[in-house]
Amino acid sequence: MILKLNHLQEKVAASAAQDVVATIYSLLEEGHIGKEQFARLQIELDWIQYKQNFRDVVIATEGYNAQGEPAPIMDIHIDTRQVQPGCLRVEMLNAFARAKARANPGTEPVDRLPLEGFQSMRSSVVWEFNKLYWNKLKDWQDATGKRYEQSLPGGQSDGHQPQAIADSADEFWNRMRNLEARNQLPSEIFLLEIGVGTGTRMGLWLDKFRELDRERGTAFYPKLRILLGDYALGTLDMSRPAVNEHVDLCSFLVLDAQNPLKTLSFLRYKIMYVHSTNVYDNLPDEEVVRRDGRLYFVQVRAYIPMSEVVRLAAEFGTAPETIRQSVDRLLEGRVDQFGSRARGVDFWREVWKAVRLEERLVQLEDLPEFPFPEGLDAAKLEDMLEQAPSDFRFHLSSGALESFVRTLPLLHPRGFLEVQDIFVQRLDDYRLGFYGPGKLDGSLLNWVNGAILKEVAERAGYDVHFAPFQYRKGSKTSVLYTTRRD
Amino acid sequence: MMNLPILPTAIVGSYAMPGWLERLKTDYFSRRISRHDLDEIYDAATKAAIKDQEIAGLDIITDGELRRDNNVDYFLERFPGVQIDRSSKKFYYDFYDSIVRGKLPMASLGLVSDFRLLRDFTQRETKFNITGPHCLAKRIRNQHYPSEEALAMDLARVMNLELKALAKAGARLLQIDEPYYSGFPEDINWAVRSLNALVDGVDAKIAVHICYGNRYGKPSWEGSYRYLFPAILDAKVHQLTLEFARRGGEDLDLFTEFKPSFELGVGVIDVKSHEVETPEMVAEHIRRTLEVVPPEKIYVLTDCGCVHLPRDLAFAKMQAMVQGTQIVRKEIGGRAATVIDRPVRA
Repeated sequence: MILKLNHLQEKVAASAAQDVVATIYSLLEEGHIGKEQFARLQIELDWIQYKQNFRDVVIATEGYNAQGEPAPIMDIHIDTRQVQPGCLRVEMLNAFARAKARANPGTEPVDRLPLEGFQSMRSSVVWEFNKLYWNKLKDWQDATGKRYEQSLPGGQSDGHQPQAIADSADEFWNRMRNLEARNQLPSEIFLLEIGVGTGTRMGLWLDKFRELDRERGTAFYPKLRILLGDYALGTLDMSRPAVNEHVDLCSFLVLDAQNPLKTLSFLRYKIMYVHSTNVYDNLPDEEVVRRDGRLYFVQVRAYIPMSEVVRLAAEFGTAPETIRQSVDRLLEGRVDQFGSRARGVDFWREVWKAVRLEERLVQLEDLPEFPFPEGLDAAKLEDMLEQAPSDFRFHLSSGALESFVRTLPLLHPRGFLEVQDIFVQRLDDYRLGFYGPGKLDGSLLNWVNGAILKEVAERAGYDVHFAPFQYRKGSKTSVLYTTRRD
Repeated sequence: MMNLPILPTAIVGSYAMPGWLERLKTDYFSRRISRHDLDEIYDAATKAAIKDQEIAGLDIITDGELRRDNNVDYFLERFPGVQIDRSSKKFYYDFYDSIVRGKLPMASLGLVSDFRLLRDFTQRETKFNITGPHCLAKRIRNQHYPSEEALAMDLARVMNLELKALAKAGARLLQIDEPYYSGFPEDINWAVRSLNALVDGVDAKIAVHICYGNRYGKPSWEGSYRYLFPAILDAKVHQLTLEFARRGGEDLDLFTEFKPSFELGVGVIDVKSHEVETPEMVAEHIRRTLEVVPPEKIYVLTDCGCVHLPRDLAFAKMQAMVQGTQIVRKEIGGRAATVIDRPVRA
């Protein structure tokens, strides 16, 4: 058995680990765990993730071979922060029982309300909640009394940092100056912001760029064509006042961040600067586990614990059996249930707080048959894994990868793409821990596998670099910078 | 003398690089297959590329350049005096770091055997491509010559011998690829001088291909061909091959403005797009070209090499090019075939 300790709670980690080891031995002696199973078992304590997350106290993950036949439990994850004193053994036995039940087709769990069947994380209903959040952001903000940015670590977006914006505008001006010197400055200079947020960043950037352009006696500013792209029309409307002074240069586009090329294919090879902040971490993802030389695809199922279902029913004056129906209506966009909009949003917030994910591992016997996101294929992944740790779990970052590869063709030959986000920069960094998905306000948050993005882009002829975001002490974001390789 | 129909068709040079060939090359570098096996694989892949072009109906056939990682290393590896850092590249299509520390010695580059394979496996007219001295000089770290121009002129001196050997072996159409002109328009005067040194005394039709780059199937620069003029008018070549399908035909008017004596290899197929052109789209490109260049001076080509296209797409695009050309041939009088004498160099 392998026990992995993370470093979230140094003070209590030692005693928690001792409790876990003692409990596992007792379960082994009592026959709840077989000897062979024990030898292969991996237990991880305190998965690194956001405080608001989808995880149960103990998660026991069983494997399935490529034919769908169940294998014994392989992984156990324990969140010691949630363990009530003296309850570890019971929680573990319950987790084992649930894993066994899952392996028996037709067995419905009694302690939880599933919101879907097992499937890839990227298809999970949790992304419907995420979509709802962005589409009904105003309702959520009205109910909570705070703006989205206030939920971010630091209380505001790193994308709004004034000095970072000033430096970016200066760098861009220099780039334009170099192109002009070579007689290669286009007549129209296109910039694209994917995920506009409040529009603050673009507004500040344009203020600064116009100022530099005037000070230095150039005429680049009037050539700018600013494309503000966002998934939600409401967000685009909210961003408008921030760029009001430059609105003649701006176009507001409803754009799928996962496929900018679909909307903007007429600008292929034309866009000089593409920027986004904290967009990739909010795109659908899926996960892969490498264990004992084999690859497993992580399937998840969203559920609400039955205790929470009962609580929700009591709080909103309905029967527990109708909660599923109310959740379905909510995800259709009905945030006005239970008598009023305010009440409906309260229900939404409580449900989101209660939603959790259980998981199972399905072996990938034949990698080429795996439905890879665009840009990645079996050969590339195999090459990457040659240098990777032998036992680890990683993000495929499907949504981020698709967004990335469907943005790169838009870049002007001398253009660049700048993405500020929470990146895992090397596959080897997963040795240090897997950063699980979290809830940020009403949205979903995932670390992004920057190593995969880098590999895919480099193979397609781009150079990719990561730089720490140096403008805010303690920021976990870094900046991915991509240009065409000379 | 070349026996060609009016509006002869060809690809610019490279044919679709199969993914398996890229992997086999990696296997070779990892010593999983021998050089002998790799050479046999190259030969087989080249023969298949020749056959594909013939079946698609092209009039002029290339070897598909499937032996070439890219249009630079294939040549620089053969130059005595150019030192290559073989640990410097990570991916198949990337460039090695290369350096020149002394005067380049005269030596054969051994290109003739590659040409012979092409010549022996097709009955049709052939074209063989050589990367030009400007492009090569731009990729080499120069620690000996006083200037890039001086390096390019010496590269041209060595390569001139090779071009003459190719002509002697039967190459009747040689194409010089100069993809970096568009990135360094300020070099154009000395670039043309080095081009002329390269082709001096070579007994073959000479085309020069100037594009906006095709690394990894993407353009390296944007702009207008206007920078070429008037310097390019001094080039001692018979044909310019330029890309127009992706960029549009605006620059065709330069041929009206400057009235160059060159033939024009007109790019009618966008190799950076996975959309297959229709024959009518191809025909429209050719009709537009006919407004500024007479038909006997037009060659119908892809914009650039097909190396980054999937094979099925490359094949479909070649077929569309042939069918579109046939439409225009009928429109201009049904002259299915004509014999074009090798032009006398200006």
